Amino acid sequence: MNPRYAWLRQLIAFGILLLIWEAAGRADMLNPLFMPSPSRIGSALYELFSDGRIWPHLEATFTAALGGLVLGLVVGILLGILGAMVPLIAELLEPVMTLLNAIPRVILAPLFVIWLGIGLASKVALAFILVAVLIFFTVFTGIRQVDQRLVERIVTLGGGRWALVRHVYLPSVTAWILGNLKVAVGFAFTGAVVGEFVAATSGLGYLLSFAQSTYNSALMLALVLLIMVVVLLIFAIAGRLEKYLLRWH
Amino acid sequence: MSLVGPSGSGKSSLLRAAIGLQQPLAGTVEPEVAPSEIGMLFQDDALLPWRSARDNVALGLSFRNVPRKSALVQADYWLDRVGLAGFEHRYPRHLSGGQRKRVALAQVLALTPKLLLMDEPFASLDAIVRARVVQDVATLVAEEQISVLLVTHDLEEAIGLSDSIYLLSQGPRARITQHYQVPLPRPRDPVRARMHPSFAPLYDRLWNDLSNEVGRNPRAEAAE
Repeated sequence: MNPRYAWLRQLIAFGILLLIWEAAGRADMLNPLFMPSPSRIGSALYELFSDGRIWPHLEATFTAALGGLVLGLVVGILLGILGAMVPLIAELLEPVMTLLNAIPRVILAPLFVIWLGIGLASKVALAFILVAVLIFFTVFTGIRQVDQRLVERIVTLGGGRWALVRHVYLPSVTAWILGNLKVAVGFAFTGAVVGEFVAATSGLGYLLSFAQSTYNSALMLALVLLIMVVVLLIFAIAGRLEKYLLRWH
Repeated sequence: MSLVGPSGSGKSSLLRAAIGLQQPLAGTVEPEVAPSEIGMLFQDDALLPWRSARDNVALGLSFRNVPRKSALVQADYWLDRVGLAGFEHRYPRHLSGGQRKRVALAQVLALTPKLLLMDEPFASLDAIVRARVVQDVATLVAEEQISVLLVTHDLEEAIGLSDSIYLLSQGPRARITQHYQVPLPRPRDPVRARMHPSFAPLYDRLWNDLSNEVGRNPRAEAAE
């Protein structure tokens, strides 16, 4: 077993699985209402793109997810740094964040819909809250765990407060955030899609909910597949960024 | 000059107070050199992992507002002096323990200190690497005429490197109880110092005195 060819074996296994699935479907062993064959899912996916009606939905989901991601990163980083630097803020913020971290934050989706309406804002808010809490804890605990030896090293070399921030805290924080970036991307899309699922007029989550209400399994599976591809694509970009910024690893 | 003593006698605290990492509970530190002329080497070589060897060495210079170009030139010079020419662009992760120690040394030497404080700097290195690093450190500080205050557990290292050795008593309230002159001639090879006829008697004295200090308090052994 050469580990270099693991991807090939995985691909072959996946292909065989698809073939069995397809064959079972054609032999009428699967009820297409519940379990449409791969070719039906493929054609559902093809239709989505060929008549062009998928684009506004993709755009809505992307806007909500990336908007929530960016907002969540900015706010999470700021609060994390403030919390680590100002004891009072840490005191007040930590219980709230711990609580928000303990609950499944998607339960806030219906609330956001009532507060912000069924438009984009409620989806951005959900993606935002999912990401912000994660990033807050990443930065907050990260700064507290900065390698004290590095701090002492900088001090004995004559570096001041600004040098510590620039040479120790910022690079450390960057490393932790990048380590959690993929999780954050996943969270952002979860927030966007779940938000759309609850109440929306567009987006992949909205389409999914539409497919569910019309018992369209092929469309549902096609959408699940599409969301996977989208997130994987963003993972790849995040991976590139991580590799570049953490090249000292 | 070396400082030896049982664990908990405050050897490290003394060095940390001298460089200002720690405030003494009572009394004052009165160094005869400016704070910027004191350098320190730790047991753990805490290099910035996200900076290459030369950027690490140039770091201290940048705190002194040395222009980046000239700081890098000086960094390369000092890396060459510690025997790391050709490793300028490596990140700490891709250096061995001995090499990282050398980078840390170059980082400190680049600031041309007059006094170098060393807190068990070689303890984490394995024997052969350690011997070579110790030799090179001895040569470099002699060439640069830097005074060294070395804290160590290793009596052989203390004798090999120093002209005088101070023994601290068991803490708390540790104080200097013994002072030894090292009769070995200079220049000398710190690793081969043990071949010298006056090495063994001094080593024995140190060993006995240190054992007595530890012996007074059985808890000290547990702390070792």
